[in-house]
Amino acid sequence: MKKLIYMIGLLALICQFPSQTLASSHREAPLISNDPLADNTDVYAFKSPTNPENIVLIANYIPFEHPAGGPNFYTFGERVRYEVHVDNNAGTPGADIVYRFTFMKTNEDPSTFFLIRLGKENLKTTYNCERSMDGGRTFTTIISNGTVPPPNIGPRSIENKTVGLGAASYDELARKSIMTASTGERIFCGPVDDPFFVDLGGIFDVGNVRPNSGRDAVAKFNCHSIVIEVPVSTLQKTGKPVAVASNILDPDYVIGVYASASRQRIRTFFSKGDVGMDGEYVQVSRLGMPLTNEAIIPIGLKDKWNAVKPSEDLQFASYFVNPELALYMDDSQFGTAVPGLSALRIQSRSLGAFDFRNGKAGLFNLKGTAALNGTALSEAAFGSVLLPNPTSPRAVDILPIFYTGVPNLPPYQLATGKGGNPLAAGKPFINNFLPTFGDYLRLNMAVPATPRNSGDFNSLGLVYAAVLGLTDGRFNGSTALQMIPNMDGFPNGRRLEDDVTTIELQAVGGVVLAAIGLWYDDFTPGTTASPVTPRLLSTLGFNAGVTKNDTTFKAVFPYEQSPWRGFRGREFAGAKQNSTNKAERVSSEPVGKLSVNVLGNPVSGDDVTVEIRGAKGENLEMDLVNSRGQIIGHQSVDEAGNTETKTFKLGKEIGTYFLRTVSPTERNTVKIIRN
Amino acid sequence: MNRHGLPLRRWLQCLTFFVSLSVVNFGYASSHREAPLISNDPLADNTDVYAFRSPDDPNTITLIANYIPFESPEGGPNFYTFGSRVRYEIHVKNRANTPGDDITYRFTFTTTNEDPSTFFYIRLGKQNQKTTYMCEKSMDGGRTFRTIVMNGIVPPNNVGPRSIDDKVVGLGTPYETLANSAIATTAAGERIFCGPVDDPFFVDLAGAFDVGNFRPEGNNVNAPIDALNRFNVHTIAIKVPINLLQKDGKMVSQAANILDGDFVIGVWASASRQRIQTIFKDGDVGMDGNYVQVSRLGMPLVNEAIIPIGMKDGWNATTPYNGEDLEYAKYFTNPELALYMDDSQFGGAVPSLNALRIQQKSLGSFDFRNGKPGLAGLRGNAALNGTALSDAAFGAILLPDMKSPRAVDILPIFYTGVPNLAPYQLASGKAGNPLAAGKPFINNFLPTLGDMLRLNMAVPVTPRNDPKFSHLGLISAAVLGLTDPMFNGTRDLQFIPNMDGFPNGRRLEDDVTTIELQAVSGVVLAAVGLWYDDFIPGTTASPVTPKLLSVLGFTSGPTKNDTQFRAGFPYEATPWRGFDYPEKARF
Repeated sequence: MKKLIYMIGLLALICQFPSQTLASSHREAPLISNDPLADNTDVYAFKSPTNPENIVLIANYIPFEHPAGGPNFYTFGERVRYEVHVDNNAGTPGADIVYRFTFMKTNEDPSTFFLIRLGKENLKTTYNCERSMDGGRTFTTIISNGTVPPPNIGPRSIENKTVGLGAASYDELARKSIMTASTGERIFCGPVDDPFFVDLGGIFDVGNVRPNSGRDAVAKFNCHSIVIEVPVSTLQKTGKPVAVASNILDPDYVIGVYASASRQRIRTFFSKGDVGMDGEYVQVSRLGMPLTNEAIIPIGLKDKWNAVKPSEDLQFASYFVNPELALYMDDSQFGTAVPGLSALRIQSRSLGAFDFRNGKAGLFNLKGTAALNGTALSEAAFGSVLLPNPTSPRAVDILPIFYTGVPNLPPYQLATGKGGNPLAAGKPFINNFLPTFGDYLRLNMAVPATPRNSGDFNSLGLVYAAVLGLTDGRFNGSTALQMIPNMDGFPNGRRLEDDVTTIELQAVGGVVLAAIGLWYDDFTPGTTASPVTPRLLSTLGFNAGVTKNDTTFKAVFPYEQSPWRGFRGREFAGAKQNSTNKAERVSSEPVGKLSVNVLGNPVSGDDVTVEIRGAKGENLEMDLVNSRGQIIGHQSVDEAGNTETKTFKLGKEIGTYFLRTVSPTERNTVKIIRN
Repeated sequence: MNRHGLPLRRWLQCLTFFVSLSVVNFGYASSHREAPLISNDPLADNTDVYAFRSPDDPNTITLIANYIPFESPEGGPNFYTFGSRVRYEIHVKNRANTPGDDITYRFTFTTTNEDPSTFFYIRLGKQNQKTTYMCEKSMDGGRTFRTIVMNGIVPPNNVGPRSIDDKVVGLGTPYETLANSAIATTAAGERIFCGPVDDPFFVDLAGAFDVGNFRPEGNNVNAPIDALNRFNVHTIAIKVPINLLQKDGKMVSQAANILDGDFVIGVWASASRQRIQTIFKDGDVGMDGNYVQVSRLGMPLVNEAIIPIGMKDGWNATTPYNGEDLEYAKYFTNPELALYMDDSQFGGAVPSLNALRIQQKSLGSFDFRNGKPGLAGLRGNAALNGTALSDAAFGAILLPDMKSPRAVDILPIFYTGVPNLAPYQLASGKAGNPLAAGKPFINNFLPTLGDMLRLNMAVPVTPRNDPKFSHLGLISAAVLGLTDPMFNGTRDLQFIPNMDGFPNGRRLEDDVTTIELQAVSGVVLAAVGLWYDDFIPGTTASPVTPKLLSVLGFTSGPTKNDTQFRAGFPYEATPWRGFDYPEKARF
């Protein structure tokens, strides 16, 4: 508790004086994007959908891996220390449990430039996993010589029995690489489809967000993943399984997770391309909550953010209590300059009184009043953190989401049952409170998993649980604690499916405040009938452009999909010389004439569906072109079936479109009229 | 005989070095070190080098060095740029008898954040990671440098319309204007551009590196895919007046002829980092010590498809000078790729290369498959007198022993350039004897015994709109010289279209992957009259046999870039715009 008070004091100080100490001039700060092997791209932590007593922890590294990026295909770096950190106790300093991974590479045949040839693999990677249960003081090896499957280069490298590895399939190689640790965890390290999805092209063009029509910038790229499925009882601070939790929001089941990559302090180039590494390991990349370093920390501090531990995060608190993104959702700031975010407008007079725009008071004027008694905002509880001063409005919502987790206390309960007073007790929906004052992905492990095939499952995670808790008749009748679907979703942990970009933008747009009864400006107490106002609906209807991954997930461990294969489609065999036949198919099957049939032409909706026949077994590339000749959509099929049914998004523009379908042997263009 | 100005003593030194090649030095990393392949240091990764006579300004040569592979156009918020603290250099050699560079262009980049308070790259007219550069030039092998561009501008990445064109939130300038106004002109007359462009290279990586799963253009099974399509790269482009590159300051109008041996240059590029990197507190990184080369490139694809994986890091760290490349010569005299074009080796296992089969009984007797003698059986024979293969000329290099068959073609293409001497003249007019004088088609001989892109600057430009312009470069020139009546009637030196193409320099359009595969399969040997096995002297009517046609018809995949080049400097296309570039499958 002494530590907590100290931290609170420090936090109050830092919120007022943001520190911007920059690198001295003789140094450079090379942003981790220039060290891809050590670049931590995403962290996930979720209740295993296959076993309620297990948690899945995922740390991904190496962004933008081109599936065909040979001859030096990507793999984990040697001499990089990869770690997944788990904190389960706010009273102990730093993480309590650490999984540490060390990778080794060997060339089985250094005489070739191919990665795989004649059953031999170069840059073949294996790993050791060590685990510490005492905050990193001592480590025990729990996997030796674990296998990292090779990149999914193509059929000759993977399945071919003569020139390749002769595997039954890539999936088989990946499955065989799943290890069981001596302590019971299941572990996989290897390439996977990058499960993240985001419209980088839109968002980073000064917030040129394209709701419903974004482009997934990491589509068809792979990354390298470390996946751990671990019993809750291993992670819970006193070794308890879920079965003995007091309820589904039992505060003793909260963990905080982050991942990191470290390199040795000194790198020396010797002759002939040898590189020496010396000195202790220094953290060069870390990630807990998604997008913190992309969209919250300003560019001048990104390197520093990567270098420090969550325990040193207070220096960055000013970017959470007044987030830059909020400027673009505020018409008195840059709101009008960013039309892509026009659906999101922060409360400037919630309940007629409270202004949450940057620099405004938020709930600060309530500080110390009796109305706060019994709530998290009282001085006896966390008032000094959550209401530090009259110019840090988001210390009440954004800061705790990222830095402490959210307790199951008023005002952090749904407005359901509050009778119009946000400070009253309401319906519980979250408790991932672990007040360590640092950026962690926090998960209450007692919350059950929402089945992925449930009709209630939603990529808006906890935001959607709040919507159900406020509006769904199954849940909005009482303040009783119930499992509302998606209470196991971001920001209570993070599932692979969660659309964290949208959720975070909605959160900055004030949706969490609204959920607990600090409604949007168009709700006037006593006048407006329903708090579900047009502005709230506008926020809930917003999305950041891409709402799901570009492929499916696996139903079982490691849940992420096998990596995209670099070589798709069938192998070409050149004509043998001295023979008269022309180039031949490896397996010659009769292929009919390519035909494309538009279902309902002219079309009246935003989508058009087509059926393609006559290309069985062939690779198909389809481009949707508008009347100006711009390609506005593309899909491809590795090996077409008898009939391929594909849906394209036409958009709102009325007029003529063309769908161009190309197989290796034929091409076909059909005209589509959008009415 | 020593007409190329190289002192005989130095030749002999080189030869001794060369002969000692059979004992290969595998001096390897001690166990506490790692050799991290440059692919893990993208900022310093030299992807391609080009050198060609400028099509719109034929008194100049354009030199291009590209860095940072696979730049996703929308790869924000930390968009790509040149590394500060990386030394980027373009090296030019114009004399074989000087020890190092004759001309060096060195680029140093500086990055500043105009508004460190935002996470956006561009906002409200301010740019973060804004990059400027200094270009220095040395004319004395790197001993002294003179600054020729100060505060050069690197245009920003082409993020999207709001960042670039928008006058309120962005920079308020069309991208084309930003890029054009970033071209600098030096006092001596060089024009220089450093910045992002569409990656001009094109290659089906998936096909090439799935153990040789090539998908030729136009095949009816599986269309090739340009793995680099819709990616950007950072380019350094320099347009230099020829007299600034020619060793005696001559202009091209003073050349004796279009193959004047005094107009040959060798070009390569590199990236270097300081020897010691220290990671300090809070993400600061200190760099100390002298600069050490971590990446280099002269001829394309050498380190991808010739140097084996165990040697790649070493290759990147060495220079093409002082015999350093001789250690790798064995990978050229017996190239790995040749194993896949040889049915007695792995040829049967790589059916996509079936079109390419190396001569094993050319003219009934010469076997050029790996480990075979090639022409070495002729060594010392009077038939070689007057040719480049005689011992008085370069026999010791070109015919070193009985098991280095490609020392006669692949090695000189990469290590010395090819002289305008028999047998390196087209078969036209040779009357069946490859050792006879024939029709000249190349002279980019600069015998430094190291990997450089060699260009004879006297060779005229083939207009890009000439119907005979071909991405097969010099191979196409050879085909025209052998088969086109405009050229195949005499042994006279004539300008044949595409004599200015790879491997005489490299144009942006040249399909170097295909040309190199054709070369490994013996097409240069065929061009000089060492025909394919299905030509039987005295029996077969034409040497243009099915096997030769099969090789010439082969392509390795895509044969051109995914967008057009610009007509004017820097010729490469402006970078794809992150917000809305037209998407296309990349694998």
